Formats: sequence, C-alpha cells, structure tokens
Amino acid sequence: MSKTVLIRLMPETMKADSSSERRVLSQTESLCPVCLKKIPAFRVTDGLDVYLEKHCESHGPFSTVIWRKDPHFETWTRPKIPIQPPVCYTEITKGCPFDCGLCASHRQITCTALIELTKRCNLHCRYCFASSQNLDDPDPDINKIEFMFKRVREAAPSCNIQLSGGEPTLRDDLPQVIGTGRQAGFGFIQLNTNGLRLANEKDYAASLKESGLSSVFLQFDGVSDEVYKALRGQALLDKKRLAIEQCARAGIGVVLVPMIVPGINAHEIGSILELGLKEYPAVRGIHFQPVSYFGRHPESVENHNRITIPEIITALEIQSNGMVAASDFHPPGCENALCSFSGKFLVMPGGGLMPIVSETNSCCNKPVRADIGARQTIFSVAGQWSAPKVQGSAIAGQGTTNSISGMDLDGFLDFVRSRSFSISGMAFQDIWNLDLDRLRDCCIHIVSNDGRLIPFCAYNLTDIQNKPIYRGQ
Amino acid sequence: MKNSYANPEDLRWKCHKCDMFLSVGPATLTYMGNTINAQLPVCPQCGFVLVSEELALGKIAEVEQLLEDK
Ligand code: SF4
Ligand SMILES: [Zn+2]
Ligand SMILES: [Zn+2]
Repeated sequence: MSKTVLIRLMPETMKADSSSERRVLSQTESLCPVCLKKIPAFRVTDGLDVYLEKHCESHGPFSTVIWRKDPHFETWTRPKIPIQPPVCYTEITKGCPFDCGLCASHRQITCTALIELTKRCNLHCRYCFASSQNLDDPDPDINKIEFMFKRVREAAPSCNIQLSGGEPTLRDDLPQVIGTGRQAGFGFIQLNTNGLRLANEKDYAASLKESGLSSVFLQFDGVSDEVYKALRGQALLDKKRLAIEQCARAGIGVVLVPMIVPGINAHEIGSILELGLKEYPAVRGIHFQPVSYFGRHPESVENHNRITIPEIITALEIQSNGMVAASDFHPPGCENALCSFSGKFLVMPGGGLMPIVSETNSCCNKPVRADIGARQTIFSVAGQWSAPKVQGSAIAGQGTTNSISGMDLDGFLDFVRSRSFSISGMAFQDIWNLDLDRLRDCCIHIVSNDGRLIPFCAYNLTDIQNKPIYRGQ
Repeated sequence: MKNSYANPEDLRWKCHKCDMFLSVGPATLTYMGNTINAQLPVCPQCGFVLVSEELALGKIAEVEQLLEDK
C-alpha cells in the first residue's frame, strides 16, 4: 500500500493533526453511518489508543476509539487462515456487508447460531440490542422454528445454539422449542435471558433442563441495584440471584453476562467476578459485553461513552487485586482477534484462581485454519458453559490447598472437570466502529426469518437514524 | 489397585532396550510444574512408561481437552 494513496484518502482532521506519534496501523473498510456508503477506514494510533477513522465525501469524518492502552493493540493478534463456509445461502451481488446469508466471501464457519424467539420483553431496558418493545409482532411459530433449525443444521451441523429475543422465556412453548432443537441434533443449547421467569417460577428451570437446555446466558450487569436501575429501569439483583439458585438446583450451567457501560458499572467488574466465584460451580463463567451503539441506548455516541477490550482486561486485574492478571487472557481462536478476549482458570480450593495455559494459544502465533479454531471453540464453550458433570458437594479437592501437585490421575480429572471457570468478553460492532475485516471473520450468526445466516453485528447494525439493514428480514 | 492404569496384558510386554518385563509402578505426569501421580506399566530398569491406547484416548485425552481453551 503506497503512502500517497493513504494520504489522499485520509480525512482532513487527520492531516491537520501534528502529533508526531500519530500513525496509521492498518486499513480496512466500513460504512458511512448516515448514507451507508462503503468507505475506507483506518486503524490509527495516537501513541496510546487506537481509533477507527473514516471519511464520507458527503457526510464528513468519523473517528471512534477501538482500543485503549494495554494489552497493546499490536500484540493482540491471532492470525487465521480464512475458510469459506461450506454452505452459502446467498450469492455475492452487492458486496460486503450487503450479501449476508452467508456469502462465499465470508471467512469463518458458524460456531454459534442464534435464533430469536420473540420480540416481546418483560423489561423495557434503557439499553437493548434488539430494541425490544411489547410489540404486536407475532412470534415465529414452532414450524418456522423447526425450519430455522433445519437451515442451521444443513449449513453448520455441529454448531452451538443460542435462543434469544426479546425475552425468550415469554414463550410458553419454550420447552418444546428446546426439544425441537435437540431433536434436530444440536448438543448444546443455551438460553439468553434476563432471568425473571427463572426466578419467579419454582419449577421452570427444571422443566427447561428436562427438555434439554444446557446453559443459561444470564444478563447480569452488576452487584448493586443502582446498576440495574440505571440500565434496566428497576432493582433486579435479588431476582438475578434467585435465577442462579434455580439453575443450580436444576443442573443448568450459568454464565453471567454483564453489559459494561462507562460511568455506570465499569467499577463493578471485580465485584461481578467475586460474586461469580462465590456462586461457582453453578456459575461456569463470566462473559463481558462492552456497550455498543445499536438498538436502543440513551447516551450519545461519543468516545467517552465507550469501553474497550483492553480496559476490561486491565479492570479485571486491578479490581480483583491481582487474582487474575492481564497476561492470563488471550485473543480468540475462532472470531477476529479484535472481537474478544478469554481466559480459562481452575478455581482452587483455597480460593485462588489458577490460569490454564494451553499450548494452542501460547505458542508462536502461526496462522491456524479458521475452522479448526471454530471447532475447538464449539467444543470448549459447550463443555465449559454447561453444568459440570460432578455436582455440588462432590466437587473434587475440598480443603484449603492451593496446589494440584501430588493428585492422582482420576482425582485430577475430577478436579479439572468440576473446577474450571472461564472469564471472557466480546465487543460487538456498531455503525461507528464497524470494521468489515472483523465482520467477515464473524462466527456468531443470527438466523433470519427466511432462513439465512447473518453475522451478529451485521444483523444488528442500524444507521444513524436507528434504521436496521437486516433486522426484520 | 487404586490409581492403577495397568491391564494384565500390558505386563506381557518387554522393554525393548532392557529386555525386561514391565511391572506396575508409580509414574508422574506433569502439568504446569505440578505432578500428577498414576500407577502405570513401567520398565523396572530404565523407567520407560507404557501408556495404553485406552488411557491415551480416554482419561489423558479428556484432561487435555478440558485444559484446552478456545
Ligand atoms: S459479512 Fe460475510 S456473509 Fe455478510 S456480506 Fe460480508 S462476507 Fe458476505
Ligand atoms: Zn455518507
Ligand atoms: Zn527399559
């Protein structure tokens, strides 16, 4: 790429900047938030942070922070050899990101297929990816859902399933939906929920377990009611705890899913980890979601209202007083490195966390075939986010030891089976920080009504006036 | 014997180097500097350990997979 081309494409504001540290790191493509025209975009650093900068001829420059400080942006890589999806439901006609289905330019297979069961919700959150309301839109009926499972099965036979919404527990036939998914051959089905119905109905979790549910992805934004009032409009902490308890009793694994918004709950990252560990082994892991600006949100879209992946990693180290270290976390083997982080740990009987260092992600940064990373993730997620095979008091390694040395092989096996804990997070893209390199690497796909597979961030993409590109199709 | 992963037929094998029958003895596997103990068929002279296919594809493979991250 020649320098002259770069300078010609760079927005006025960038040329005007005299900072000597300012450097273009790499180039990608994005969309204009106003007219949705495809435009070049640059990952630019000012020496500390990294911004995605783009310029529309008609609508001017846009600059969005995508990375702040450490771990350093340029070291956060995990190269992959792209893989075309084996089954593509759409043709390439208009160019990325307007051909999703997936099309043959996509570079990753499906690791998780997401099915939206309803638009209705029993909360009216100030933040909502799906902009859910109590709409009169009818839910897809069970035949439609069966069709969706079938389409996923044909394109990605061994992927994991997440049932989502709206609030999927508002459907009284949810156990039947889960059963349909199991019958279609899917081994790992997870429910994305606010947890209210799990908390309010005594036997509800058990009935979901019985129909084949493996895991609950529980919206869990903090450990104080102030946070829930700010994000969800009401005090919910007791309900959340009750939901965890019910899942524990039913043998369903729980993943706590905090959406992190600067100024609202970023200071509770450490306390969320602490609570998760207290509720382990029912809680299998924590999965952070930095706020992104699609769907419904009250804040203006400004850089100070964003929190990036390295900031969450740093907050984990600081707020846990070093119980976890930033170096315990690594970029993903499945999706684009810039989309997520994760770390896996053993919960030691003495209370500490011991990081699990695996060979595949600690060695040499040699490109690995994307679908191999995807398959590993499908397997690892299904194992980690389900209830452990060893339950409750039968957890291996009681006492206060903080060492595994000297265990016998069976004991060690039980120990790892029952004591692994994951801490991860994923940053979704919005129209402001949309990076088509990341989008093409996406492995989480939403099933549209007409049975196409649409990358999550394309499906949820809305323009500056909140008009969706894909949602509703 | 508890923690023993030796089958009777394993003990019919001889160590190629030492020409001695294997016997059941303590062996250690290491994970991140920690030692995990198991009773395995070993050569009494040089300490060569036989890991049966059953064990390699079974428990050891499971431990490996559980310790594997995404
Ligand atoms: S995001 Fe993937 S499926 Fe969608 S248009 Fe781009 S390459 Fe095709
Ligand atoms: Zn424009
Ligand atoms: Zn020998």
